[in-house]
Amino acid sequence: MELESPKQPPSSLWALTQGNRLLYSAAIAVMALGMLFLLLVPFVLQQTLDRLRDGSATPTGTLVPAAAFLVTLNLLHGGFTYLRGRWSAQASEAVVQRLRRRLYAHIEALPARYYDTNSTGDIVQRCSSDVETVRAFMANHIVEIAKVALLLLIGLPILFSQDLKMGWISISLFPFIIGFGFYYFRRIHEIYQKVDEAEGALTTVLQENLTGVRVVRAFGQQEAEIEKFRGANAKFRDLEMDMFRTLSSYWPISDFLIFLQLGTVLVSGAYFAMTGAITVGTWIFFWWLTQTIIWPVRQIGRVVADAGRATVAMKRINEILGEPEESSEPEPEEPVSGEIVVRDLSFSYVAGEQVLNDISFSIAPGETVAIVGPPGAGKSTLMHLLVRLYDYSEGSITIGGTELNEINRHAVRSAFGVVMQDPFLYSRSVRDNMIIGKSHASEQDIKESALAADIHGNISDFKNGYQTIIGERGVTLSGGQRQRLAIARALLKHPTFLILDDSLSAVDTRTETQILKSLHARRGQQTTILIAHRLSTTRLADRIFVMDHGRIIQEGTHSELIEVDGPYQRLWTIQGVVEEEIQEALAEGSAQ
Amino acid sequence: MTSGWIDDDDLKEKKLDLRLWKSLLKYTLHYRQTSLLFLLVAFSAAGADLGFPIITGALISEIDRDISQVNIAWYAGAYMTLAIVLSVSICGFILCAGRIRTNVSHDIRRDAFEQLQRLSFSFFDKRPTGWLMARLTSDCQRLSVILAWGVMDLIWGSTLMIGISLVMLWYNWRVAIAVLAVVPVLFAVSMLFKKWILRTSRLVRRTNSRITGVYNEAIMGVRTTKTFVREEDNLKDFDRLTSEMYEHSVRNAVLSAVYLPIVLSLGSVAIASALVMGGNQVLASTLAIGEMVMFMYYAQMFFTPAQEISAWFAELQMAQASAERVLSLIESVPDIQDSDEVKQRLQTLGHDGHPDRLGVIEFRDVGFRYGDGPQIIQRFNLTVQPGETIALVGATGGGKSTVVNLLCRFYEPTSGEILIDGVDYRQRSLSWLQSNLGIVLQQPHLFSGTIADNIRYGRPESTEEEVIEAATLAGAHSFISEMNSGYDSQVGEGGTQLSLGQRQLISFARAVLKRPRLLVMDEATSSIDTETEKVIQESLARILQNRTSFVIAHRLSTIRSADRILVISQGEILEQGSHAELLKLRGDYYKLYTDQSIRDIDRIDSISLSDDDSADELNSPSPRTEKDHASLSPTVRERK
Repeated sequence: MELESPKQPPSSLWALTQGNRLLYSAAIAVMALGMLFLLLVPFVLQQTLDRLRDGSATPTGTLVPAAAFLVTLNLLHGGFTYLRGRWSAQASEAVVQRLRRRLYAHIEALPARYYDTNSTGDIVQRCSSDVETVRAFMANHIVEIAKVALLLLIGLPILFSQDLKMGWISISLFPFIIGFGFYYFRRIHEIYQKVDEAEGALTTVLQENLTGVRVVRAFGQQEAEIEKFRGANAKFRDLEMDMFRTLSSYWPISDFLIFLQLGTVLVSGAYFAMTGAITVGTWIFFWWLTQTIIWPVRQIGRVVADAGRATVAMKRINEILGEPEESSEPEPEEPVSGEIVVRDLSFSYVAGEQVLNDISFSIAPGETVAIVGPPGAGKSTLMHLLVRLYDYSEGSITIGGTELNEINRHAVRSAFGVVMQDPFLYSRSVRDNMIIGKSHASEQDIKESALAADIHGNISDFKNGYQTIIGERGVTLSGGQRQRLAIARALLKHPTFLILDDSLSAVDTRTETQILKSLHARRGQQTTILIAHRLSTTRLADRIFVMDHGRIIQEGTHSELIEVDGPYQRLWTIQGVVEEEIQEALAEGSAQ
Repeated sequence: MTSGWIDDDDLKEKKLDLRLWKSLLKYTLHYRQTSLLFLLVAFSAAGADLGFPIITGALISEIDRDISQVNIAWYAGAYMTLAIVLSVSICGFILCAGRIRTNVSHDIRRDAFEQLQRLSFSFFDKRPTGWLMARLTSDCQRLSVILAWGVMDLIWGSTLMIGISLVMLWYNWRVAIAVLAVVPVLFAVSMLFKKWILRTSRLVRRTNSRITGVYNEAIMGVRTTKTFVREEDNLKDFDRLTSEMYEHSVRNAVLSAVYLPIVLSLGSVAIASALVMGGNQVLASTLAIGEMVMFMYYAQMFFTPAQEISAWFAELQMAQASAERVLSLIESVPDIQDSDEVKQRLQTLGHDGHPDRLGVIEFRDVGFRYGDGPQIIQRFNLTVQPGETIALVGATGGGKSTVVNLLCRFYEPTSGEILIDGVDYRQRSLSWLQSNLGIVLQQPHLFSGTIADNIRYGRPESTEEEVIEAATLAGAHSFISEMNSGYDSQVGEGGTQLSLGQRQLISFARAVLKRPRLLVMDEATSSIDTETEKVIQESLARILQNRTSFVIAHRLSTIRSADRILVISQGEILEQGSHAELLKLRGDYYKLYTDQSIRDIDRIDSISLSDDDSADELNSPSPRTEKDHASLSPTVRERK
């Protein structure tokens, strides 16, 4: 397989912040300033109390200025806190926006093969919850950690400047408080994970029940479903309760440690005040300052534990970003067109399980070819190779004389109109779904394509016509409507090559005829490949390939093949019986 | 993992409707002991909180007054006691709230789920799966958080605030009033900001769930994106969404960044008032210095509960929509349920009072419309003998599925009645009808689990042999046995590991295993290749013997063996009869099928004979079709 390594190498958390580091630094700088003002508050109290005690205080000379100073300090602190909040939000959201974009572009550029082995749910989870973990780290954790670091960096010198002994006493329990929080939240994450899983299981039971509501009723299995839900519901509840039980030992112990620390400051301060080693003002200064520092410090254990998850999340994200993307060859000057020639082509998805086996054929420009065969014959795989969803390594495919592997993928795909077996529609309006291959299509063109696919009538019946939103939040289309809409959007593209992969299975016979007619009207203008089960479809083709076990076992026109003993003749016999009956009835009718 | 469905309702603030919350509060009060204990710890926590400033103030005052007389050990002891009481209270607090929170959300979810099993399809028609999921996940979670933590914080917070106010007033009413003057402002500011913050955070969540949806779509539709070369356009759309996300997130963060400094500044105003007013009294010797510190301590303490309470009030208003939706789900009455009479008979007799036999089915003047939509069928009359196979044909939207839905009592007639054995089926129990019903749908729903689990769905007690037999009859045995784990293969969520055709076969086997007396097949074999379908046809003939069945299909080979074929258009039976009879009739049935086959043959003729472009002819209904009935195509003639 030809693959290209991703345009950007995987990132570390640090590398992600590139481009926003200035803003981050500014946020941290203003935070430090704000902090400084907050840490000055205890000095005001210290001075005021000491003056009140020694009798030098006056209402206008001491109290009012002190109060004004107090409010001013808080306002300054508030102002800088605001700036810090604003800038760090801008920085972190910009980082995450870039990460999301990179992931999205990368997901679109990954080869189809990647999605064969990786589950959608897992990739989406990495793109949503893991990105959210990184976001929380960027927006909150970095700032929290910086805040506590600054608080200690600025606060501790202030603390020690007043009294060394009291300083040590004031922070004596800090290591325990921090360590305890860190240890606990590591444990809690394990429980969180279990709770998440239980919630996921519950959601699955619920979703299956709701989407299968008809089956549940028709089989009278409501009681069994209630029983199933009861189990999942109870498990989720019990695990959540486990989480609360764990938290119910963390918070009280942590709170107790804090009150122990504050009590120690208060009591030993009282003792030193009594011995005259410090003033009452200094005593209250220590008590107030410790309060200011201790609550954020308590959070740090938790924050560090949370931040630890960010590296794990980033690793999971990098596993996606590190996957090689599809190769991009230079764009050809001319649009891709011409004869399709396949020589000795073999292919397997997994080594050892051959899906296509030494296939050779050619399709002339403008020709219509039908492919029939049982499930697993390799029909769809062949189509995937033609539009370079997968790359072949054995044999050759050329279009217009150029080896397919050497033509730019986008150029190849632009020349093809593909209707998949199980067509995917975006949950947008009907119109938006139609123009995905041709964003500047005229209204006339859109309507004509819809008419050709016999879906225009249905669309007009919708209340909002072409603006009707389809999918879960709008109108749910039937299988046949989906197929026809997918055909319409492929036709709208006016492709050089049109592929219909079993795209008429869910439409009724009259509609099928209608669509086949439209296709026939375009005969000669485009090369058409039809995969089908119904003979009414295959009979339209210039040539028919019968595939089985990765080989083309029969090839020829309809009238040739029904004369030869083989699978196609057998199909013809089964369906022919019906025709015969109709003819008999007709003969009888006309005889009357 | 909760569903990301967020309604516009969630962004609006609604008037508080106490009735709603009262009926929800029943869920909390159901846990009476826990609720009582919870009250107790809320009071003791508030009490301990209240005690710290008093002790601190008293200690300072005493030291201020006379250093030599202070009994530090006593204060240390009192302080430790308070710390222990508070810690134990917090522990109890979390346990009680946790217990109520998890149980209430469990109970609401349970009630809602059980209700969903009873509600009729008309309810589901109007509500997408994602919407319902959000009710049972995020709404339940949100309401239970309010009903546990919200109630708790309300009790603890108001107790603490009242306590602080009383203590302050008791010590010195002048200083107390100076401090309390800030409180109304604080409440007003908090309510306002909390609402804004909640609203923007909901916008963030909504945009976030859209982004997740777009990632999901990018992966599910990756082949479509690639084949239509949509990468750049999709990325542009995605960029718009993430820019929106950036806007909302930053706005949300900025609102918080404004709110917090305002609250802190208001707090400093209260502390400053305590300082000035208290300091003056200290100078006048009417207040001890420790008491002044106590007032400042209280002024600071006041702000946490005040913020919490206003936050909860804001949340209460914003959660009004959730409460309405969840209650309307739990309290809604199913359109279709057993009548009181039937319920009573079920209780006294153990069955619905009618013989357990599926006899003649009769539609008598049945009319139906979905809600207040257009009339789908009108005065529909049909009598089906036991064991008869009825095929319904006609263009999509003609009412075929409606007839079948009415028959299964997924909906009830809006006029007229459906009789089974001469009894209106509304006189019988739903479970009786369901136990006699087997149904195969075009979009077969499989449950995650193994293939065997799915086949067994209608009769969990059936043996392995029975499962294999049913699969064989349904033509599914051969592909199942080719799979690595055979019948124990996982089908994946929604059956995604299997192709549509394979899923149809399994759901067919599931219906066969149930051995229903009434079998309904709604385009059940559309994605199955002709050879497999032939196999099914043969076993179907055996299965359908002595069973009443309704078959909706497009393929002629599927319907032609039915005892009676009904051609349905616009809710009416246009024609009925056997395949041969209907063909002879030369009416709509004839057109439906000959249209296709004859014109096809004509076209093939013109292609293979003249090889010119016959587009014109194909686009206008060929006049030759009618004329040339007698002159059959060479291929068919040869076959004859």
